[in-house]
Parts: sequence; C-alpha cells; structure tokens
Amino acid sequence: MNEERNNGALPRSEDSQEYLTFTLGDEEYGIDILKVQEIRGYDAVTKIANSPTFIKGVINMRGVIVPIIDMRLKFNLGQVEYDAFTVVIILNIAGRVLGIVVDGVSDVIALSREQVRPAPEFGAVLDTDYIDGLATLDERMIIMVDIERLMTSSEMGLVEQSQLTA
Amino acid sequence: MTIDMSQFYQVFFEEASEHLGAMESLLLELDVDAPDLETLNAIFRAAHSIKGGAGTFGFSDMANVTHVLETLLDRLRKEEMRPTVEMIDTFLEAGDVLKAQLAAHQEGGEFDDPRIAQVCGTLDALAGTEAGLSVATADPNVRGATDEMAWLIEFHPESLQLQPGSDPQTLKDALTEVGRLEVLSEDASAPCVWRLTTRLDREAVLETFAFVCDLEDVSVRADALDSEDDGFGFFEGAPGSEHVVDETPSDQDDAGFGFFADAPGSEVLSDQEGDGFGLFGGNPGMGEVVAVADSERVEQQRGYGFFATSPGAPEPKGEAVSTHQAGASDRPVSDATSHKGAAAPAKRAATGDSSIRVSVEKVDQLINLVGELVITHAMLAESASLLDPVLNDRIFSGLSNLERNSRDLQQAVMSIRMMPISFVFNRFPRVVRDTAATLGKQVSLKLIGEDTELDRGLIERLADPLNHLVRNSIDHGIELPERRREAGKPERGEIILRASHRGGSVVVEVTDDGGGLNRDKLLAKAEAQGIPMPDNPSDKEVWQLIFHPGFSTAEKVTDISGRGVGMDVVRRNIEEMNGRVDIDSYPGQGTHLTIRLPLTLAILDGLSVRMGEEIFILPMTAIQESIQPRQEQFKSISGRGRVVHVNGEYLSLIVLRDVFHLSAAGVQQDDGILVIVDTAEGRAALQVDELVAQHQVVIKSLETNYRKVEGVSGATIMGDGRVALILDVDALVRLNRKAA
Repeated sequence: MNEERNNGALPRSEDSQEYLTFTLGDEEYGIDILKVQEIRGYDAVTKIANSPTFIKGVINMRGVIVPIIDMRLKFNLGQVEYDAFTVVIILNIAGRVLGIVVDGVSDVIALSREQVRPAPEFGAVLDTDYIDGLATLDERMIIMVDIERLMTSSEMGLVEQSQLTA
Repeated sequence: MTIDMSQFYQVFFEEASEHLGAMESLLLELDVDAPDLETLNAIFRAAHSIKGGAGTFGFSDMANVTHVLETLLDRLRKEEMRPTVEMIDTFLEAGDVLKAQLAAHQEGGEFDDPRIAQVCGTLDALAGTEAGLSVATADPNVRGATDEMAWLIEFHPESLQLQPGSDPQTLKDALTEVGRLEVLSEDASAPCVWRLTTRLDREAVLETFAFVCDLEDVSVRADALDSEDDGFGFFEGAPGSEHVVDETPSDQDDAGFGFFADAPGSEVLSDQEGDGFGLFGGNPGMGEVVAVADSERVEQQRGYGFFATSPGAPEPKGEAVSTHQAGASDRPVSDATSHKGAAAPAKRAATGDSSIRVSVEKVDQLINLVGELVITHAMLAESASLLDPVLNDRIFSGLSNLERNSRDLQQAVMSIRMMPISFVFNRFPRVVRDTAATLGKQVSLKLIGEDTELDRGLIERLADPLNHLVRNSIDHGIELPERRREAGKPERGEIILRASHRGGSVVVEVTDDGGGLNRDKLLAKAEAQGIPMPDNPSDKEVWQLIFHPGFSTAEKVTDISGRGVGMDVVRRNIEEMNGRVDIDSYPGQGTHLTIRLPLTLAILDGLSVRMGEEIFILPMTAIQESIQPRQEQFKSISGRGRVVHVNGEYLSLIVLRDVFHLSAAGVQQDDGILVIVDTAEGRAALQVDELVAQHQVVIKSLETNYRKVEGVSGATIMGDGRVALILDVDALVRLNRKAA
C-alpha cells in the first residue's frame, strides 16, 4: 500500500491526466479522476457514535456501507447545508469506498504534468503535505490534492493506522 | 506428461487426506478387545486406497509406508493376529507420518524423517515372523519382473468424461508412464481395447481411469495370453487342474476373473479389494472350487471369494496362503466383505457424481447476494405499504410470494455453508487419548449431537477454543486414577462433548466429571493478582475469573496448560463469533462449560430499538427482558453512575444517548424503556426510547470501508435502505464505565 501511495506522489508520465475539480468555499481543488467511483446526491446518513463531527456517518450504497466525510466541516468552510444540491463524491481509495461532501463539482480537466507547479507553503485549508501542486486553468488556480494520502492520514481517522502499516 | 498427471494431484491430495482422516477415526473407534472385522476392513481399505493413489502418482515414499501398514492390517483383518494397543498406537503414528508426507508433497517437497523408518520398522516387527516376506514386498519398486501383469483394458471412448484439454492421448501417456501400452483396437464407435503390461495392480490401473470416467464403464482384466504362462502354471501338475484350465477361459467373459500369480505373497495378492478375483490354492479338488467360484461370480459379478486349501494339502508358504486359511475358517465373513468390496467403489462413484467442490468465496458471494435480495424485498414491501391494498391486490400477492421465495432461497443458500459439527468433534477422540496418556489419566470421551449443523466459518473457529477446553478439562478437571478411586468415582473419567440447537443458536457443552473448580483457590489467586472482586461474589463471578488474562491456578506449568494464556483467548475467540461461554461447576462432581453460538456469522436475530432519530439493532441473544421502569426505580450511586432497581437486583444503567453522545433532545428518563441485557460482566439495563420490531438482519462489517467503532459490532441495512448499527452490549458496558 505504501508503494502505491509513493507512486501516486511521484511525477507521472508526460501524458496528460484527467482530474475532477470541485469547490470548497472559495477554493477549487482537483483530484485524480481514477480515484473517483461516482458522484451522487446527499442522502440521509446513519450517525456513528463518538466519531468526529466531520464524519457524518455511513450510508448504504447498494449494499455497501460507506462512510461519509463532510470536507466543509473538516476544514471549517462555508455554510454547511444539506439540500438537493449537496454533492457527495464517492472515492475508491486504498481498496476502500468512502464519500466526501463538497460544495460543488465543477469540471473534469486534463492537465499535463508540467502544468502542475509545486506548491509553496501557503495558507490553504489543507496541509501542504497532501498537496501535489498547483495548476492554473483559465485564470483559476486549482489545488491538486493527493486525496489518497489525505484520506488515509491519521488526521482523518478513517483508517486504523495499524492496518496501513501492515 | 508429468503435467498431465499433476492436474490430478490435487484430487489425490484431497482424497488421501480424507482417507487418512477416516483411518484415524476408525482406529480410535476400534475396540482392541473385541475388534470389529468391518472396521478393520474399512481401515485396510483406507490404507489401500492411499497406497493405490500414491503408487499411481509416483509418491513412492507414501506407498512404502502404506504398504507396510497394509501388511499388518491385512493380517489383522484376516484374524491371524489380534490387534493390540501397541499396534493401534503404531498405526496412528504411521498415519501421522503419512500426513506429514502428504503435506510435504503438497508443497512439492519430500518428507524425510527418521520417523518413517522407525514406524515401518515397528510395523514390520509387529507383523510378526515373516520378516523376510515383509522386506521382500516392502518396496513396490523392487518387485521382480515376474510381477508384471498384462491387463486388457476395454472401454467406450464416449464414456470418458475428459477434462477440457485432455484426450485419450493423455490417458495413453499416463499409462505409458507406468508400463508398456499396446493399442489392440481403436475404433471411434467400438470399444477401445488396450493392453497394458505393468507392475501396477488392477486397482492402480483402475485409479488412473477413475479420474476420467465411471469405473463401471471400464473393464480391466488380466490378459489371458500372458497370464496363461504366469498364472495357470500354478496349477500344473495338481490333480484336477485340467478342469481349471477348461473352465477359466469362460470366466474371462465375466467382469470377475480369477487370476493366478505364481509368487506367493506377491503384491497383487494383497489387493483383493480390487473387485473381483478368486484365489485358488493349488490342491486336489480344484475343479469343485472353481465351480463354486463360478457360481459365485455369476451371482455377484464383481465379488470375490477365498477358498480353502483342503485338508492334507501341502502347507504352502507365505501371505497368500494364510489368506486361504482365514477364508476357510470364515467363509460367511469373506462373503460379506466381498459384497462390501463391490459396493464401496460404486458408492464412491455415486458421491463423486452428486457433489461438487466449490470455493468458499463463491458461496459467500451467493450469500451476500441473497442478503441484498432480502433487503431489496424489504424496501419494496415498505414502498408498497403506502399503496391501497384493495386496488393493488396483485402487487401485494406478488410481494408475499417474493417474500416466501426469498426466504426459502436464503435458507437454502445458508444451508450450503452448514456443516455438521462432527468436523470438529472428530478430532477429539485423538486429542483425549493423547492428552490423557501424557498425563497418566484414564479418560473416555462421549460425543453427543455430532450431526448438529452450524456455519462453516464457525466450525473452523470453534476448533481451537474447544480443543483448549477439552485439554483443560483433562489436565485440571479429571483427577488421577488413584484420586478418583479415593473419591469413590470410577477410575476412568469421562468427558462429554454435546452439541445441540437451542432456539436460534447452537449450544456446545463440554462436561467433565472431575474435581470441579475450587472457589477458595480461585479467590485467593484473584487476590494475589490484584483482580478486584466484589465482597461475597456469586459462584458465577468466581468462575468467570478463569477467563481473566494471565490467570492460572495450576501448580505447575505443563505443555498442556497452566500458562494462563488459554482461557482468556478462548473467551475472546468465542465472543468474536458473537457467542458466549458460561461455566457451572460443582466441587467433586465436575465442571460444565457451555458455549452458545449464533447459527451463522452472516445473519443475526435482532431487536431494533429507537433512540432519538437513530435505530439500533440489539442481538436477541443478549436480551433477557424489557420493562417500563417507574421513576423510583432509578437510583444513583455517587461515583459509580446510576443503577436501576429491577426485581430486587441493582443493575447498572446504560443510557445509550449518553454513551453515544446523541443529541439530547427531548425524552424524559422515565419515558424510555429498559432492556435488560446479559453481558460478560453480568446483567445491565439499557435505556432506549422505543422498541421497534424484531428482524433477521444481515450483518455487514463497518471495518470494510471504515474502522472499528467502539460499542458497535457491525452494521446492517434496514428495510428502508438506511444503515442501522448493531450494538455490542459487552463493549457498551465498558464504554459506560468510562463515561461515568
């Protein structure tokens, strides 16, 4: 698993790669589209006792129990409302399925590796550890996130760390 | 060509280990004082089948061991010798050696150990005086050229059930490996006739065919052309031998054919299980004997008979001859065995056709899908409940059909995974025997309810805890013979393993008639280890001490028990299966352990309870009763949380809302309902808002995509498609204590 993650962080081939971009507050983020399983609306969740508030709970996705994380709560962003327009991105990461709640999904973009610049230390809501780099597209700055590293981090508490080292 | 054979290796491995298992249980069953001939025959057959397979696949080391084993067994079943305890021990040991060899071959290696030679030596010695004979036949590879037999193999090519990628050529290749193969007639429509000259016996040749077709469709007989020289010469010069020669050719048309080897005691002779030949001693009056053989053959095509040497005939030497004597004194028995010998292969073929080996994953996938179906049905039913039953009559009847069908389907699929508990129980005769022998105790084991079925996953996980409990009972429970005598009990202790279905669960009990647990000793030990105990604890609380990690009252540590690591592991293992262990013990009379397990790991009987907006599932096994409490029943104890006074007992109160930090909107304490649950630490009262309904729920793991959540053993999907968490009452008690 470690190996896989390292590969994710290494510069990829010269060919362009597709990213899904979404908005959180005023910022726009991009994640590797291959990690995205599907996008769906927000459904009623079942709360999980004694879990951090940003873990909304679990849902039943065709018989699979999927935890839902609200990124807005995790990073204290924007107005947290749940309505017909709330979007959940279902990710498939490290063999697990989980969903993240974001403000909105904007686009699928293709970027080549050169278009992604290394990120300076800056005040994004995300720790730079989880940021692959920055890309510019039509004057918009997109923060490229290593979603796998973020979701398996101890900070998120989604995965028991002992399972990762195994 | 070796590749062609190796695709059958797995089948051999599986069959051989089944045979070994059968052999072991039969050996343990065998009563040394009154040996049952049927059992001995069955053991012999098991050993023989292993030998046949091992020989065919070229595992000569296994063939050697089984051969020596077989030699002794053969003498036993012919009642030339009486079985002794020593023999049984050696047989068991040989079984172990074979298992090790089998395991080594499975991994592609070879098992090389002095034990092999030692066991073979002991067996040889036990087999008695004819050491020379044993040596001569010990190694099938050194058998002389005279042992080569020509076999006429006749079969219909259509009857072959060839695996994809193999054809008659493969079969030919396989046979060429073991001997000279001549194709006498090969016509696509007519039966193929091959002649194989090989050292293999008939059984082994048949085994090769057993993989590709029904044995009924193949006829393997000795080729008259070749055997005439080898075999018939045996009778030459004996008065009456002319009759024999006259009559034998006509026999050849029958499946049963008498064949005659000139070397007494040679390998082929001990292979009479191979469906059908008679042994004929060279003696006067042979003609009569053959006549008898003839008529017998007509009656039972594949049978065989033993024929006595008539009185006064010169005493021939060797194994083959002793066979005759046994046969003579025991004609009815040999008849019976001949029937059985004929029946056994037929039966094997039948079971081969009616069962398939399927990987567990496939079955699990099926169970998952059925679980989905059940959930989907529940969702449909819920949507339909909004419709008008009169107007939508057909939808409702369709739904109720669907419900019945999916319930049946669920049961049928679950039953695939069900296995009789005898799979676990069968190992215990050996465990008890070995453990008791090591400790110098006399213990007999009684198994009750071996047919009780439970989930395969549980069976596998039950084996270790049960093993530990049984060994513990022998080590700590059953006293030494002298002690038992002093106590006025029979010297031989007894352990009873009993399995039964009780409600929705399986109950496995381990009972011994030993000394029982010593309350004072346990309490003293608890004090020494600083384990907190309430004043004046109940017996049950004291007995639970033995499940405490690191707790052992054994004065000395043996390799069997006393390290104190066992019982807590036992309890943990069983709790992981959603089961529980209870102990009853009576000083001087014994200890009774009860393991209660759910029928399956996949489905749970639960009660759904509402707490605020959330629905939780409580396992039915944990629930004792539910009550509507009055305000005055709640009491609080400073520093120890709140308790409820129920039926004269003070139970600790678990308020789910507080433990899980659910939103505190609303409900007054006394509006709720108390569910009295049975936990590892005694009874407790769980406060919930409402009891909703009783369901069978499909258990899903939270850990697949998330992590373990304390107080929750899993999740399930309810009829409305929402997820409900399944509560783990034992963990709730711990959480509650932490919260208080």
